[in-house]
Amino acid sequence: MRSTCTFMSLASLLALPVGAALADSKDGTFPTAEQVGGQVYIDPVAVGRKMPTDFDTYDMDGQKIDLGNVVQGKRSMVVFFISAVPVSVNELAAIEDFTQKHGKGVNLVFVNADTVGSALMGGPKAVIPNSVKTMHYIKKEKGLKTTKIYVAPNDALSAESVSTRLGIRGLPTSFLLDDKGVVQKVFVGPQKWKKGDI
Amino acid sequence: MSINRRQFMQGAFAAGVAGTAGLLGSGSAFSAVHNPVGEAQAELFGKFKGNVVLLPSKYGGYVQAMDLSVPETLAWYSYGLHGIDMPIPHHIAAMPSADPYKGFDFYQTMQPPASPYVNENSPEWRNRGDFKMFKMRYDGSGKQNSISVVNDIGETTGMSLGVHVSIGVGENANKYVAFADGQKDMVLITDLGDNPKIVKAFRADYDPVARQLNISHIFPDATTGKFDYVGRKGMKTTHEAMLGEELMPADPTAVFVDAFTWHPTLPFGAILIRRLGCCAIIDTRTWEVVALLSTAKGSPDNFPMVKQTGFTWTFAVPSVLTPLHEAGFITSGEYFVACNNVLQNNIAVYRSTDENPNKWKKETFVEGFGTKYLPLHMGNVPDSRFVYFTMWARKPNNGYICKVDAKTWQVVAKWDTGPDPHTCDCTVDGKYMTTVYSGHQAGQSGLVVINVETDKIEARLPCPGGMHDHVVVPESWEGLKFSRSTSV
Repeated sequence: MRSTCTFMSLASLLALPVGAALADSKDGTFPTAEQVGGQVYIDPVAVGRKMPTDFDTYDMDGQKIDLGNVVQGKRSMVVFFISAVPVSVNELAAIEDFTQKHGKGVNLVFVNADTVGSALMGGPKAVIPNSVKTMHYIKKEKGLKTTKIYVAPNDALSAESVSTRLGIRGLPTSFLLDDKGVVQKVFVGPQKWKKGDI
Repeated sequence: MSINRRQFMQGAFAAGVAGTAGLLGSGSAFSAVHNPVGEAQAELFGKFKGNVVLLPSKYGGYVQAMDLSVPETLAWYSYGLHGIDMPIPHHIAAMPSADPYKGFDFYQTMQPPASPYVNENSPEWRNRGDFKMFKMRYDGSGKQNSISVVNDIGETTGMSLGVHVSIGVGENANKYVAFADGQKDMVLITDLGDNPKIVKAFRADYDPVARQLNISHIFPDATTGKFDYVGRKGMKTTHEAMLGEELMPADPTAVFVDAFTWHPTLPFGAILIRRLGCCAIIDTRTWEVVALLSTAKGSPDNFPMVKQTGFTWTFAVPSVLTPLHEAGFITSGEYFVACNNVLQNNIAVYRSTDENPNKWKKETFVEGFGTKYLPLHMGNVPDSRFVYFTMWARKPNNGYICKVDAKTWQVVAKWDTGPDPHTCDCTVDGKYMTTVYSGHQAGQSGLVVINVETDKIEARLPCPGGMHDHVVVPESWEGLKFSRSTSV
């Protein structure tokens, strides 16, 4: 595996414009309830519907990728988490362990639906590199074997945000998808995983 | 706090013979306070005599006590001296003092610096700072004023919380102080002693599947007498949610508890629950949860309790139309007002005089703030004629302060005091409203003094370090009713 520094340098050079969970909007407007699902707690993408994947996503090299390609043609477990929420980070190892034992052939994908800060260190250009760096920390600290760990910047106040489109307010939220990307099951929060869940 | 005889004598001894003589009636200064007579600013600021303002510097890591009437800093304390790397002094409340120039106690909370949008949560910062609550003491009884730590309450109780602190008034005066935190969703009530004793603690957890809120009493370990929530233990989220981040994906159980505000005449307090747009009303005689107000426009006045199991009260929260931020009582206790924001920007006005909080009804809303300005903090005046509110805004907007008539509940004046406005707090005589702005924790920042009668801005002072809160030291328990108690 290449060093984190290599990733950082590469990502820094890319200097990608990104959103953040609470980005400054152009004029500082906050959304109306109607624009973000009608209320604070909205429902996740329902079983039987295709899970949206057409939002900006970055890999562990800081490179932009197409999440649709990652899940295309494979039965997948897509776990959305956020590095700022310990319970969602802690769940990653549990899901990974369970999938290895009881989810043969399941394509396990972790997506950090957020970015980390760079207000004092690096500015906007450092948002993706710092977020990627944090993913490397988490992978190492939790001993994760999964290589498909991604960062999906999320402006929670946007009608088009990852969280609004997916209907996620509590993390982890995990979507079990069939090979066409259609939602088969949704798991909100940490689970007591049992055989047959996936 | 009042200076006791022992402290008095220590101060007198420290001041030396001359100081002691002065104390006994010669008219010379007892404490180290500058006399500005003859200076150009004396006439302008002299009318603020009697007002000592505490200003915690969120990014400077210190707190200062400022005599508004000179103006000068009387004393300051850097929390780095307590061994904290990157201290973030957050919220503050002061005990009453008949002579704040001589001494008073105050409480200060602190949180880790891990908010990505105001400071940093990059990997290098993940373990910096800490949750803390301190009982502090200002001593102006000698030649050298000082501020010192009386008690590290987090260490004493085993529970460290980092957001609002408020001191009991009315039936709870001279008894309790409350601390709250939205990263842990906990509230701690202690007594006011120098070695504080745990009185009661609460934890709030949301069940997103059942759409229910559980509020529980939590208890310290029977053997140690302490909780196990020092530092980051018990933390659901690594940073406090900024305004708008109530919509941020978070721990499924997270509700972002923000403060505990005290009813000035009845034995009640309110736990403010940002993410659910709710306020849990607590009977402070029994510490039972007796009602859950739902403050959004279009929602019922309160949500029903589903069950009580032991020390857990479960409420149905079928929908959340908007988050809220601060909520509190006006000085008279006649109304409870709640700052709904993000999805609705309005202020709910409940009549709060009934002894059964389940009968408190929303009578009206203060509205017309649009989608850029969020009701945030509230400030009271002694006679309850007005309530002042901070209307916070994201960049590139400044936000503003507005004055609301508490009879008509209409906005009667407003001021663009500067970018990123925060708390409002009235001077002890009720004549002036003070307010701070912090330039989004980096740029322009200051303290502004507004004349309550004329609406004129009377003074503006620089406040480096991002003042996120401030408080004027109240002169009495009655005075505390329009300070950090009934509202935050």
